[in-house]
Amino acid sequence: MTGKPLMKKAITVVLATIFAGAFSLNAWAARVGQRAPDFMAADTNGKTHTLSEFAGKYVVLEWTNNGCPYTQKHYTSGNMQNLQRQWTSRGVVWLTVISSAPGEQGYMTAAQENSYVQKAGAAPTAVLLDPKGTLGHLYGAKTTPDMYVIDPQGMLIYEGAIDNRATTDPSDVKGAKNYVDTALSEAMAGKQVTTAATRSYGCSVKY
Amino acid sequence: MVGGTIRPVSVGLARKFYLTGIFTALALSAIAGCVEGQSSSPNNAHVDLIAEERAFVAGRYLRVGVLFHLDKGWHIYWQNPGDSGEPPRIEWKLPTGLRAGPIEWPSPVRLGTGTIIDYGYEDRVLLMAPIHVLPGLVPISNATIAAEVKYIVCREVCIPGKASLSLAIPLPADQSVHLAEWRRIFEQTRSQFPKPAPSNWNISSVADKDRFILSVKGSRTRHAVFFPLEPSVIENSAPQDVVPTDDGFKMTLQASDQLLKSIPVLRGLLVFEDGRTFRIAAPVAVHAR
Repeated sequence: MTGKPLMKKAITVVLATIFAGAFSLNAWAARVGQRAPDFMAADTNGKTHTLSEFAGKYVVLEWTNNGCPYTQKHYTSGNMQNLQRQWTSRGVVWLTVISSAPGEQGYMTAAQENSYVQKAGAAPTAVLLDPKGTLGHLYGAKTTPDMYVIDPQGMLIYEGAIDNRATTDPSDVKGAKNYVDTALSEAMAGKQVTTAATRSYGCSVKY
Repeated sequence: MVGGTIRPVSVGLARKFYLTGIFTALALSAIAGCVEGQSSSPNNAHVDLIAEERAFVAGRYLRVGVLFHLDKGWHIYWQNPGDSGEPPRIEWKLPTGLRAGPIEWPSPVRLGTGTIIDYGYEDRVLLMAPIHVLPGLVPISNATIAAEVKYIVCREVCIPGKASLSLAIPLPADQSVHLAEWRRIFEQTRSQFPKPAPSNWNISSVADKDRFILSVKGSRTRHAVFFPLEPSVIENSAPQDVVPTDDGFKMTLQASDQLLKSIPVLRGLLVFEDGRTFRIAAPVAVHAR
């Protein structure tokens, strides 16, 4: 076998790998049962946060877009705000994330989002602005809402839907099984999280 | 309270539709002209209830269907919507003695780009269901078939929709005039149904770490696309590398992050370049190293 065809084949393989890698951003996305990827993002008060700064605490990441009817279902019903209040009062760090690109639905400036949080009575620990979508792609966030729960050791213990009623109807909140509630309750009781991953439902994240 | 801009919706008979298939614009306008009491909710989607027959025929199913006309660029979803969205739900309200079968889903298209891939329909789609008369009852001649349709229609943004539709069977005169056109839509939709994979094909798959290798023997190709029937089985946005083999092809499907346990069968549709669509159910063997 001469050197040239082999070299060409090697180059092709390398290029193909890079090409495949470029498309499979989700190859590096967070996976349940593995360490949640560390990140750095600014909140609506200009403060930069990392995941590692919250080591030793439970962390919830909540992807949002306040124009999406699935997100509105949880905010107009007060469901999301209640969850935020309930769990932050138990020491959970709740980070709302906005990965909408400028000009896309859900995009908010820091001032707009602070105003929205106040009007909606939301109670996250902080809202992270991710207009470039870096944090969204790192976690593989696909919909709004999309929920991630990280334990105090930094392991991802839940990813997916907020609950088991994949609709836009606020009246479906009441009877739904809330996966975030369940995951946090089980983990805090030292139990295995029974439903660790589900398909999240919502509008696509507007990267 | 919607953050984005809502496109103003134009209601009325004079609407432009992007056409595929054999129908003339005139014929379609005639159908879509909202027959009163029968169709509703112009939120970038026009929804109608149509029937394939004028009346019940003893011993035969009556097929009815919810016909969606979507504004350009807007889509609704397949039974597996993909990464985002939600399939339309039809709740049939039928008189005693009638039962509706499940929706018969036409072959979907891939929607979206990048890391979020969905499955659904654009332009126009008919979601049909068979209505059958329960045996042993007095023959039914008159009935009102009603449907509550809940759906989400999306483009850059999503808008939920609800339609309350009904149809009198036998069809009154003002709807019977549409029957020929309606029958053509049912026929054309049937031609877009996935077919069972040919019995002489050999289809199997292997679960290897974080991917499935689907193996098809019986049809050699370089180009095929797999649509999973269930969500959370494959990574919808991952490339589906197709490699032809001597007697068929192999396809690599990245497993979904949400697939936490092994599955015995990989179910879905295989769509070929020429548009032929087949339903497959590939038994999954776990790769033993």
